Amino acid sequence: MSAPEPFLRARGVARRFGAQLALEPTDLDVCSGETIALIGPNGAGKSTLLSILAGSLEPSAGAVERVNDVRVGWVPQRPSLYDRLSARENLELFARLEGEERPAVAAQGLLSTFDLPGDRPSASLSVGNRQRLNVAIALLGAPRVLLLDEPTASLDPGQRRRLWEMVREGTVVFSTQNLEEIGLYASRVVVLQRGRVTFDGPVDEYDRVHAAEVFT
Amino acid sequence: MSRVVLVLRKDLLVLWRSPLLLTLLILYPLLVAGLVGAVAGYGSSKPRVALVDEDHLPAVARIGGREFRVADAIDEVGKNVHLVRMSAGEAARQLRAGRVVATLTVPAGFLDELRSGLTSPRLVYQTTRGGISSRVTQQLQALVYSLDRRLQEAFVKTDLHYVQLIQHGGSATFGGKTYDVLGLDRMHDLLVQLPKSPQRDRVAEFARIASVALGQTGNLLASTASPITLERASEKSRSSLLSAQVQAYALALTITFLALLLAAGALAAERDENAIGRLARGLVSLGELVWAKVALAAVVALALGLAIAVVFGVIVEAGGVVGGEPWGRLPLLAVGLALAGASLGALGALLGALAREARTASLVAVLVVMPIVFLGLVPKQVAPVAGWISDALPFTHAVRYFSSSLYDTRPWGTVARELGWLAGLGAIFGAAARVATRRLLA
Repeated sequence: MSAPEPFLRARGVARRFGAQLALEPTDLDVCSGETIALIGPNGAGKSTLLSILAGSLEPSAGAVERVNDVRVGWVPQRPSLYDRLSARENLELFARLEGEERPAVAAQGLLSTFDLPGDRPSASLSVGNRQRLNVAIALLGAPRVLLLDEPTASLDPGQRRRLWEMVREGTVVFSTQNLEEIGLYASRVVVLQRGRVTFDGPVDEYDRVHAAEVFT
Repeated sequence: MSRVVLVLRKDLLVLWRSPLLLTLLILYPLLVAGLVGAVAGYGSSKPRVALVDEDHLPAVARIGGREFRVADAIDEVGKNVHLVRMSAGEAARQLRAGRVVATLTVPAGFLDELRSGLTSPRLVYQTTRGGISSRVTQQLQALVYSLDRRLQEAFVKTDLHYVQLIQHGGSATFGGKTYDVLGLDRMHDLLVQLPKSPQRDRVAEFARIASVALGQTGNLLASTASPITLERASEKSRSSLLSAQVQAYALALTITFLALLLAAGALAAERDENAIGRLARGLVSLGELVWAKVALAAVVALALGLAIAVVFGVIVEAGGVVGGEPWGRLPLLAVGLALAGASLGALGALLGALAREARTASLVAVLVVMPIVFLGLVPKQVAPVAGWISDALPFTHAVRYFSSSLYDTRPWGTVARELGWLAGLGAIFGAAARVATRRLLA
């Protein structure tokens, strides 16, 4: 049986912020149907790697190839939305930018799916609703790969469960510090420590004992 | 719909939903423009001058047979300077302290000397150095000139009275005694009654010619006293508040403030709201993002600038002032407003990218606006360096464009040149902003 075709192919991507090396040269393939958990302590380079994969941050070295111009949805750790626009207006704006043919319909569909109030300014939404809107925006344009940076960090257990129900279809790369989510949702684990990948393999090869050590 | 327009529409919506910010953005520059106008007005207001009256001038003085109201003379000079009576010691103290810009002393014996007509009495004038002292000097010179003119008229009238006495004869009082003066005309009449002789005829002819010649003396004396008379024609014209220059400055200052602040704040806000990372992943390029902020500044500058121009126009119309009404030139003005707004917006975007945070960007923009404006107000002849720096910034070119487009009979040369400057500066600042915007992604 042949290996699945990768959607994203990162080769030697590295990122430096001034004198600080945030991510050492890293290779990573994201293949169809995978749910990759990206774990590591704070400052390990998870957000940097995800931002580079999403295309929102240019690598200092290396490149990311989007095979067949695959669409990628991006959920940054901090909600990326306009506070003075309502949830509907945010969704419609990004739908237009994503090239959705019927932006109003797409926005209404996501408002219903995520059970979001459409017409209140986003600034007045609860933390959970803001994060759901953040995720909903990432789903515009029907991305085949979804990149999520600690998407459940500010959510309660119920909100986490509902969020995962909405995003677990397709190919997902998510960073987390919640080890429980690895077992529940991940098919593959990538461990980052001090900007370097120290483990990359199937979730069943991953040792939870070592995982605990990662964060100590 | 293009991505630039989508982001622009979003920015306008966000601005519209910030009524306090919008109100402040409109009112603040107008307030500053008003204050600048007030300060400029203060520059031409009456300076305070100490009047030291050591001669104890009476309310009414009789000179050359005419009465002079001293208070009227003081009122006359008071149109230009604020004369304050005080003692010599107090005047000296206030001059040293800078509370008066000059002292004008009327020495003891001034009026007697003036009445005698034997010598010219002196007013003593002392002023501070620099500042507005030269202007005060001019105003006091104008006062002395004005007084001299009045006195000349009185002295000429007195002189003419004596000339007419010599010409026609009559009674006159000298030193308290009254004399009957024969006069040339009566002398001629007496001569012709004498026996005819060549000598009598010669004297009679002299008396006749002298009388005719003295008849012209009045005009000659008047024209000698005032070879040139300056007459002020009354005409309806603009007040300084409605002058072309003030209008051009008000427009330029308002859109400079707005465009810099809006573009800087809007670009930095993309980072504050964490939206730039989402946009930059292929949805909107950094160049398009800068363009959107430039367009935002241009649109707001155009809308507000036209509104200000219309308000000025209505005031000018209501005042019945002719010349320079903006109606016919609104399209030309609109082009300049949009391009100046865009050029300033590009500079604002550069500030926003360098500042990175919206709050810092707004503060930097506010701090930068005033030097830009005041550099544009400094005459090039006074400080050439300020002129060169100002040339490298859009404000001065905006002022020149607005002034020319609204009021020049043939504005095309100036308009084309300033459009070139604004476009060039906008392109440079825009390109720099595009490069600097990469900082927002880090």
